Amino acid sequence: MKSDVLNIDGLGYRYPGASTPALTNVSCAIKAGECICLTGDSGCGKTTLLLAIKGLLRGGSHSGTIKIALPVSQDAWSVPVGLVFQKAESQILCTTVAEEVAFGPENLCAPPEEIDVRVRKALMSVGLDGCETRNVERFSAGQKQRLTIASVLSMNPSLLLLDEPTSQLDRQGKQELCTLLAGFKKQGYTIVMTEHDPRPFTTIIDRYLPIADGRSGAPTLSLPDRERYESKTAAKTEPTGVTERGVAIHAREIALSYPETGVALKQVSLKVLQGERVHLSGGNGAGKSSLLRCLAGLETPGSGTVELAGIANPRPEHLPGKVGVLFQDPSRQLFAESVHNEVAFSLHRLGHPPNEIERVVTETLRICGIGHLGERAPLTLSFGEQHRVALAAVIAPRPAVLLLDEPFAGLDFPQRLSLLEILAELPDRYGATVLIASHDELPDHTWADRTLKLSEGRLDETTH
Amino acid sequence: MLRSSDYACQYMTHDSPVHRLGAGWKIAIGTLLSTLAVGVRTPAELLTLVVVALGYYFMARLTLFDLWRDARFFVLQAVLITTLYCLLNGLSKGFWPGVRQSVQIILFYIPGAVLLRTTRTGDMMRGLRRVVSYRLSFLVFVSIRFVPFFLRELDEIMAAQRLRGARLLPRQLIDPRNWGDLFHCLLLPLMVRALKTADDVSLSAEAREFGTRKQRTFINIPRRDESAITAPEGQRPACPAEVRSCCRLGPEARKGLS
Repeated sequence: MKSDVLNIDGLGYRYPGASTPALTNVSCAIKAGECICLTGDSGCGKTTLLLAIKGLLRGGSHSGTIKIALPVSQDAWSVPVGLVFQKAESQILCTTVAEEVAFGPENLCAPPEEIDVRVRKALMSVGLDGCETRNVERFSAGQKQRLTIASVLSMNPSLLLLDEPTSQLDRQGKQELCTLLAGFKKQGYTIVMTEHDPRPFTTIIDRYLPIADGRSGAPTLSLPDRERYESKTAAKTEPTGVTERGVAIHAREIALSYPETGVALKQVSLKVLQGERVHLSGGNGAGKSSLLRCLAGLETPGSGTVELAGIANPRPEHLPGKVGVLFQDPSRQLFAESVHNEVAFSLHRLGHPPNEIERVVTETLRICGIGHLGERAPLTLSFGEQHRVALAAVIAPRPAVLLLDEPFAGLDFPQRLSLLEILAELPDRYGATVLIASHDELPDHTWADRTLKLSEGRLDETTH
Repeated sequence: MLRSSDYACQYMTHDSPVHRLGAGWKIAIGTLLSTLAVGVRTPAELLTLVVVALGYYFMARLTLFDLWRDARFFVLQAVLITTLYCLLNGLSKGFWPGVRQSVQIILFYIPGAVLLRTTRTGDMMRGLRRVVSYRLSFLVFVSIRFVPFFLRELDEIMAAQRLRGARLLPRQLIDPRNWGDLFHCLLLPLMVRALKTADDVSLSAEAREFGTRKQRTFINIPRRDESAITAPEGQRPACPAEVRSCCRLGPEARKGLS
């Protein structure tokens, strides 16, 4: 019978200044070698629970206990718990791979020869051996994710915590991570992970612990609420906002390359009709964002031409009101003191009359399901709500073309589905053309009229 | 303007005589060169210092393209300063002081760029620990390490806001009525991102036991030629097998897991 590595009993936690607790009476016991997945909606308390296990919650009010069994062979240069955070970008602190992986053991005052052994072992475990002196800036999202895992493994933890490890990864990256975690499990690591969509990991997960509103439910052996992850099918109608379908996006033979990374786009041609819904798929680094930047005039291609919403070779200054672009992280574009003002910003800039602005903002907030947040400050909202505010701000001027770059990143499955439902309405309501660039598959497979696949800078088209 | 996906002053994983110099030496050389840059007055002194500074830069196996990436914003500034001097004092009296001041600024900055381009985090902390605590030296280095990250953020925020109608182009910012956009649409989101990132970074460092002990040790990393890795994709020589294996989890790498 395996002993408990982690035992949580009646854990409660309230962040400083918060009116409601983030965790309430959470209890669970995890045995050595188990792989547990915490499931639940965004903001339910999964990350807070991981921070509590690692002992990183400062201030606030705590209750209950967390007991972690130390392994017998634990030395002074090891830690019982290792935590890998969601965003690799802001987690990597050093300039080279070896330094990053050595950072933990160095802080534990391990002797240099011991650090050397650990760095090699950790990099071998994640398949990055031979990259010790590489600059981390050049790594892909998947490589960065593996590096962050190696930087925690080098501290010899017996309990490995992973917070949304696949949020930035494409399908191949997810498969690789699954293989990696299966290997760790074989080696005897105990793994606790949070995941919006645990389906890629069902073969290695032993139990699921549902969390809802900061409370833990009964652990289950199979994925709870499986149907919520199933692809949905919405009824589709032909766009009503347009009578004759013109060309909304027309790119001809676009080529783009960077001196440091080589060719990003190879003679890409693309024609999208008014009111079409297009999914531009492709793995990390396939060139999706580069193509979107070329279309929006943020990047001047080496050769080729772009025509967007009737504007030839557009510059960003030509596009407000005609083209909307939603980037990955909504907090990059939020600044106003209220949601209402945030959404009204572009309309003011376009010179709409005040009563028209009021009407459009109210309607847009309703379409995006955030009518109740009108007077709230955007930066105080949750990630999912901020995402909707950013979307509302982009669609308020009723753009003829809407471009979205990785719009599903950081959203849980119901939020993704809800976003897609909002986007599905736009062609019908306003005749808008919607192009989604995403490595994630769409929660509704029937949403897109066309799926384009970008791979190594080349574009292939598949029609449904 | 040359297109680049990189930002200035990123660490280059080459091997060079400058890379092999201790961080303390590089700080000392940099301080000396920057001080001299402030003091030069005659064309001969300036020319000599330009030759020395560029010699130091190229000794680090950095290229003209790297120099362009590091100093391109200063070129714009040089044009502005020289033009202003000429406008204020006339071409004959204003040109030389304008050129001198512009070149002085670039010369002041170049040793710092060399330090960042050639010094790893650990080396920097090792170099500074004789002067300040390792906690403080890490703080200094991390602030610099994230400069490329924030330049990227700045670029992304600017792109998003311009597409929403914010007036952020240099020619638009000449008009004081648009300065509000600079603060609200660009600096405010950037500050929010900076605070959030600082939070993430400190949490990541804390999770890896940073600052829990009075001292810390340092790994010894032997230097080796990394030109195969840092060269542009199309110009790279074939990677050695062990480097190739890191690009994706291949069968060799998977063997190590079992």
